[in-house]
Amino acid sequence: MAKEKIDKRYVNKVHIHAFDIILIIFFVLLAFIIIIPLWKVLVDSFDLKTSYGMRLLPAEFGFEGYKQIFTNSTLYRPLMISFFTTIVGTCIALILCTLGGYVLIQYDMPGRNFCANYLLFTMIFNGGMIPTYLVLRTVGLTNTIWVVILFPALSVYNLVLMRNFFEGIPGSLYEAAKLDGCSPMGTFIRIVLPLSKAALASIGLMFAVSYWNDYTHYKLYITNSNLYNFQMKLRGMVQGSEMPNISGNLTENTLSNAAIIIAILPFMILYPFLQKYFVQGVNVGAVKE
Amino acid sequence: MKKEKVALTAEEKTKKRQKTLAAIKTHTGFYIMFLPVFIFALIFCYAPMVGVLLAFTNYNGIKAITPEIFVGLENFQKMFSMASFWSAFRNTLEISVIKLVLTTGFAVIISVLLNEIVSLKFKKVVQTIVYLPHFMSWVVVASLFSLILAPTTNGMVNTFLVSIGVIDSSNMIYFLGSNTWWRPVYYIVNLWKETGWQTVIFMATLSGLNTDMYEAAGIDGANRFQKMWYITFPALANTILTVLILNLAKIMNLFESVFVMQNDAVLSTSNVLETYIYYQAFNSGTIPNYGYTAAVGLFKSVVAAILVLACNSLSKKVRDGRGIV
Amino acid sequence: MIKSISRRDFMKGMAVGGVAIGSAGLLSACSSSSSSTSTSSTDTSSESSSTGETAAVEKPASISLMFDGTVVTQANGQAEFFEKLTELTGIDYDITQPDHDAYYDVLGQIIAGGDWPDVILLSSTYYSAYAQAGVIWDMTDVYEGSDLQSRVEASGSTSVVDGMYVNGRLYGMPTGRGNGCLTYIKQAWLDAAGLSAPTTYDEYLEVLEAFSNLDMDGNGTTGNNFGVSASGFIGSDSPYVNYLPEFYQDAWPSFYQQDDGTWADGFTEDSMKEAIQRLADAYAAGLIDPTSLDQGTKDARNKFYAEEFGVFTYWAGTWATNLKNNLENNGVDSELVALPPIAEVPYYYDRLPVTWCITTACKNPEAVFEYFISAMHDGGDVEFAWTYGVEGVHWSTAAETLYEGTDSEVTYEEGQFHMLDNLETPGTQYTKNHLDPMLELVAIEDDPQEETVAAEARNSQQTFNDNCKTVTLVPSTDAMEQYNGDLTTLKNELIALVVTGQLTVDEAYARFESEGGAGWSEQIVASLNEL
Repeated sequence: MAKEKIDKRYVNKVHIHAFDIILIIFFVLLAFIIIIPLWKVLVDSFDLKTSYGMRLLPAEFGFEGYKQIFTNSTLYRPLMISFFTTIVGTCIALILCTLGGYVLIQYDMPGRNFCANYLLFTMIFNGGMIPTYLVLRTVGLTNTIWVVILFPALSVYNLVLMRNFFEGIPGSLYEAAKLDGCSPMGTFIRIVLPLSKAALASIGLMFAVSYWNDYTHYKLYITNSNLYNFQMKLRGMVQGSEMPNISGNLTENTLSNAAIIIAILPFMILYPFLQKYFVQGVNVGAVKE
Repeated sequence: MKKEKVALTAEEKTKKRQKTLAAIKTHTGFYIMFLPVFIFALIFCYAPMVGVLLAFTNYNGIKAITPEIFVGLENFQKMFSMASFWSAFRNTLEISVIKLVLTTGFAVIISVLLNEIVSLKFKKVVQTIVYLPHFMSWVVVASLFSLILAPTTNGMVNTFLVSIGVIDSSNMIYFLGSNTWWRPVYYIVNLWKETGWQTVIFMATLSGLNTDMYEAAGIDGANRFQKMWYITFPALANTILTVLILNLAKIMNLFESVFVMQNDAVLSTSNVLETYIYYQAFNSGTIPNYGYTAAVGLFKSVVAAILVLACNSLSKKVRDGRGIV
Repeated sequence: MIKSISRRDFMKGMAVGGVAIGSAGLLSACSSSSSSTSTSSTDTSSESSSTGETAAVEKPASISLMFDGTVVTQANGQAEFFEKLTELTGIDYDITQPDHDAYYDVLGQIIAGGDWPDVILLSSTYYSAYAQAGVIWDMTDVYEGSDLQSRVEASGSTSVVDGMYVNGRLYGMPTGRGNGCLTYIKQAWLDAAGLSAPTTYDEYLEVLEAFSNLDMDGNGTTGNNFGVSASGFIGSDSPYVNYLPEFYQDAWPSFYQQDDGTWADGFTEDSMKEAIQRLADAYAAGLIDPTSLDQGTKDARNKFYAEEFGVFTYWAGTWATNLKNNLENNGVDSELVALPPIAEVPYYYDRLPVTWCITTACKNPEAVFEYFISAMHDGGDVEFAWTYGVEGVHWSTAAETLYEGTDSEVTYEEGQFHMLDNLETPGTQYTKNHLDPMLELVAIEDDPQEETVAAEARNSQQTFNDNCKTVTLVPSTDAMEQYNGDLTTLKNELIALVVTGQLTVDEAYARFESEGGAGWSEQIVASLNEL
């Protein structure tokens, strides 16, 4: 049962609809259109020669671009920093946005609207680059790894989306928890979070992606390059240096395309594992028991 | 509600206050839970907001912020007197609203259709592919599409159009260099890059759908299109509305995607507020005037606030009295 | 392993071996007669260079510095370099090096924040603005009459420093000359077309025409190559015309000082109208790659490597080697002609250099000038370290083979000076530390640059140096701050529209009038003339 290959909605459907065929054709075409530009990058990353136009296959196949990146020991430290900030940052960000989202569904809480407007206001108004820097410097975050973890951790956008998911949880469950004598925190941990796996997975993914891909906060608030992440290093390679180096046996194009592919790779690998949460759905009955 | 307020006697007032106090007491746990969020917003969002005051100064980043540098509404006067500012403002609104509606619309359609795919394996593969372009930086995307759309034999699109006889080879279309084509191309590239990523949130919403509803509808004799129309779409309505309104708050901040795709020839159709400010500072050949930048920033915020509040009150009608936040 | 021979020992060895090392070869500064040869006036026998020369100021214990990615980075042995510098000067250095791309954002934040370092590195735009705003210290009095000035004079670089005076005062010391772009032509393409390097605009057009009809990428069809390509029809900062000089010729799109000392806007002159017309004609004839409008410099380079076009105006000096290597790695003929300006082009433009400036927050600016700025151009060990880095980290004289087993394998003999493999990007060789040996302000005694700099780079630099003129520094005024942003944006838009055939020159200039461009231009010119 657990290893079903077909969505259970359609289990009782025996025949394949004409619509299914159309769907498959549609998505194959769509995937094809999306892949064409990506294919150019992929081919170029394996091509030891620089070709400007589109090509089906590399003119001279080789792994040198990847080899050069993976054997480059100066990239190990940035990689560790990327993992650290992504994991810690995503956890902190998820805590903030689940807590905030949960509070925002307490419609009978006095001051609930104040909280909502307090958050909404931050989405619309901001103080600009220099005042932000001055505040971060005052609280002692500049030039530490915490600035890239804490500063972007509160995302009102994601918090509101999270609240939307929480709203979907049947109200009867909250009532039941209350009757059982659960505290707000207890309800949150025992009822709300377990029922929100899809939300946690999707919003967590959004946070993880933005932490992993972040470079703006690094370049504005950190001047110690020992604290730079993988993305900062890759970015340098993708853009190609304006400062010339006498190359070894690699055209600059090969290296930069390999760097682009490597930047995509982690989430290409991670995504299929997260997907099971998106198709699982909420099993309300199981929690009730 | 209003009537009651008017008719409140002193006694009722005390009663109400007691009620509120009691409510506060029962919600203590929630206030504590909100505290971390409150503090984060206070430090990282509200503390820097004094910077809004810079809009009324001629601060150049060097002088201390003293009363002498306050120039009143001078920055706003300059801003509103520039024809290029108004054209950038109009472009920002048009481009970002159309872009928002298109990407959200397509993301919804793709999500609903993905939801209809029977084979889970195929679904996974498609989902993974459509979301990949999100991971490429805008600089890379711009350079890729500059190649694909080039008005030379390198450009796939033009070569294709020539081969099917729509245009002849001496008359290739310079999509990115023409004021007619630039915007449609910009929307398409945005769709290519961001639609897949937007489906993540809609797919997550759909996964929360109770599958019993489909079965029940099936028993009632509903066909697939009816199920999509009466079950799937309504289930997404709330999320769609939220996503749309939340994005309105960020609508005026359009920058990177436009900046990397625009060029000198299409400035009249593509210049948005943020790129306008960028060129103002960069091309002036001197250090940026933070006062002016702050003034444009404040103007953007006010426009965003109006948009969000207007849409929020509209959404209250849909969401039985509750705003999106 | 790398044997540790001190630089001086190595130099002696070289002298005994009879290898002549001239350091003056590339020093002829732009449009000034090159009379620089010996650096004998600089006594380098004292180990820590300038310490003994002036006793008037006390040596600072430490100096705080802020600079961009043009100084060696942490991953590339920055620590070793500053250790070496401390060893040579006896001063500690406190370093801030933000990400190269965000340097001016971070600098702006730090200037606004108030904790100013003693010394900052500035581009010409920030240099003149900060000079006028009082951020950087006026070093005129200390510089004039100093040993540094005599060394600069002896090396024939006076004009480089003179170019950095703002209203008669000097606020920073250039790292060297600014360098600029010159035109490279693929020799193989010329051969295939049966032409020689052009010397006039007509010949240049003939070459472009021939190139666009060649089938050099070998795909069997002609007409898919272009004569020339660039990133943008006009550059985004000064010297704006440097990527397509043959079309712009004597036209200048921005403000400049006329011979009588008054200012003018070159955009409003007939020479500019003619230049835009030339570009439009060449574009219509299919000689210029149309995507020049929207492509970045990296795309332009890739197309050059991929045999998409044959004439490329790009940086002189080290880039000549870089272009050649990339062409070679791409398996195509890599011989490039570094073209002297054609008859109609008066000169190539030398960009304004970056400058090291002392902030007004510095407590002992005289001492910092003496022990940091002057020492950097001491013609001896300190300058050598700023130029080539540290022995064993950035360069070596040991016998060894680099890049063994690859196409670029190279073997050095014992005592042969060479740069080492880059620590951050293995597989590439260092070319310099911070100062460019070919653009130096003060000649280094016993400069090994003939050993380290490849022939094609020297050749292209020499061709450039013989034919260049430094851009004038335009001071900033209130009117400039107010209108120049909109004005330049409008100019660039009009140029692009004319070149791509969407407007005629006359229509463009009519729009320039009606949209306020002419008015802004006049106000700025007036404000400059008032200075």
